Amino acid sequence: MLALIYFIILGVIAIGSAFCVLLSRHPLYGALSLVLSMLSLAGIYGLLASPFIGVVQVMVYAGAIMMLLTFVIMVLNGARDSKTPMFDRVSLFVVPAVLVLTGLVGFVLVRSPIAFDSTALRGSVKLTSETLFNVAQTGPGYFILFEVLGLLLLSSMAAAVLLAKKRLGSVDSDNAEDK
Amino acid sequence: MDIIESRTWIEWVITIAKFAFCFVPVLYILLLIPMERRGAGFMQDRQGPNRSYIKIPYFGKIRLLGYVQNFCDGTKLFFKEMFAPAGVNKFLYYVAPAIPFAIVFLSPCVIPWFGPMVFDWGGKAVRISGSIIDSEVGVLLLFGLSSLSAYGAVLAGWASKSKYSFLGALRTSSMTVSYEVCLGLSMMGILLLAGSFNLTDIVSWQEHHVWGIVAQPVAFFCFLIACIAETGRAPFDVAEGEPELVAGYHTEYGAMQFGLFYMGEYSHICINSFLVATLFLGGYSVPFITTETMQAHMGGSLAILCGVLAFLVLAFLHMIYRYSRKLKATNLTHRFEVLREYSLYKICAWVAVAVLIALGVCSWFFYNPENFVVNGFAVGSFATAVGTALIHLLVLVVKSVMFCWVWIWVRWTLPRFRYDHVMHLGWKIILNIALINLVVTAVVAKLVGGN
Repeated sequence: MLALIYFIILGVIAIGSAFCVLLSRHPLYGALSLVLSMLSLAGIYGLLASPFIGVVQVMVYAGAIMMLLTFVIMVLNGARDSKTPMFDRVSLFVVPAVLVLTGLVGFVLVRSPIAFDSTALRGSVKLTSETLFNVAQTGPGYFILFEVLGLLLLSSMAAAVLLAKKRLGSVDSDNAEDK
Repeated sequence: MDIIESRTWIEWVITIAKFAFCFVPVLYILLLIPMERRGAGFMQDRQGPNRSYIKIPYFGKIRLLGYVQNFCDGTKLFFKEMFAPAGVNKFLYYVAPAIPFAIVFLSPCVIPWFGPMVFDWGGKAVRISGSIIDSEVGVLLLFGLSSLSAYGAVLAGWASKSKYSFLGALRTSSMTVSYEVCLGLSMMGILLLAGSFNLTDIVSWQEHHVWGIVAQPVAFFCFLIACIAETGRAPFDVAEGEPELVAGYHTEYGAMQFGLFYMGEYSHICINSFLVATLFLGGYSVPFITTETMQAHMGGSLAILCGVLAFLVLAFLHMIYRYSRKLKATNLTHRFEVLREYSLYKICAWVAVAVLIALGVCSWFFYNPENFVVNGFAVGSFATAVGTALIHLLVLVVKSVMFCWVWIWVRWTLPRFRYDHVMHLGWKIILNIALINLVVTAVVAKLVGGN
């Protein structure tokens, strides 16, 4: 019962702040609403007896990634109060897509039987690590995916550095720097 | 209600009483501000604040060694006018200072303040953990919260709509992101050795093996540097940057709004020094003695504790007597006034020494509670558990105060870094050392056959 009350509160906050991301005029407010949404999602993960996932959500998404995002927003146009229009031509595709997705997810949720045991451990530290790093031959082999993901992130980072370097080494930026 | 009847009333009382620990960082502000001022005075060869006083009969002006200055500052900040410059973003401007200060109350929840209390209550073995939340993710929660507290500075800088504040906010966000990485990575070695995120487990590992600072000396220094950088104090005060950015992100703030930032900074020091003490200095564990030994000789342990406290008070007395002697030799006009003030301290300290020694002797001779062993655990009486918790708490406080002093020491000793130097140190030096340390620790732990 208590868990249900918490879930409703957190769910309302999560969905409300997700709407705010869509509706807010200024990108910084959008980012802040996203932070709020992620925090309440972390709370929901905690309710689902997976505190590890919840804390990682707070640490990585709300803490690090959104901090980087606010940094980027502030570097790009944070000083101005730019009021971007709420709807433009892209919205023609985005809004129907969101509606269709909501409908699909809602349909699936309504159809699926809801049997929920709130005491079962789903994402404890031990369980997560054992599932992820099970190197037995009969195991699920997630650790290979994990390593491949690491490589993928590394390559994307290298690409980003290369792109940035290209911009830095160009004639314009050489003239701009006092060297 | 089932949830209430699932535990005995004493468990509920202690569980609720543990929430008082949320106020420890705020209380530490009261300790840290005089410590900072006296410390700065000590390093710069001057006296520090010594003018504000409380007047009481007979003893005259009581200055409490500069402590009264705190109350004056607090009063000033509270009664100053709340002021917002024109053009600020009103909502964020007022909300931003509250964020770091609100998180200060949340952060102490995972720090173990004493070892798990295990005692016998009406024939039932009761176990109460030392932290407010006994979660298996422990230290990660603390990091998550401390990374959130940087939003306060970022939003304050943005909402102020001033160039200086804005630059300060930018620097804060970049500092937080870079040093959080170093902080997390340098901590991983000790987590690997202890095999747990839970701080209570880490402390008990250190208690039974070796302190973290011995097992992971390199990580300790990386962690300490990253911690100091994260609090954003000199030499890492690029976000405030007095020579270049006026006051950084809180340039436009005054009165208690500035006070909240100020208190948030000091509480952050408190939390971080508790974290360093817990991760690398054995936390609440008493050096060279395991909790089991201590509980087996509870009376003796309490006596030794009283002896140590009495020694500290005697050291204070020694200082006061030396001051008095020096003062008598001078011919300052106010020397009799000050000597009269000191006589109050002397009386209080001598009374404290007498009480402590009496308590120590009493507990040595007359206090020997018996321990029972239930399922392989030593289960003592309630009094033993409370006594152990008290000793643990005091040990932890001593360790953390020592680290608080390190913060002050570093601030007033080292010259400040330039912004690019800070980034260079974070990304190119500390991060790499921490990574190598982690790999070496993992390999050695695997070879030796730990976890």
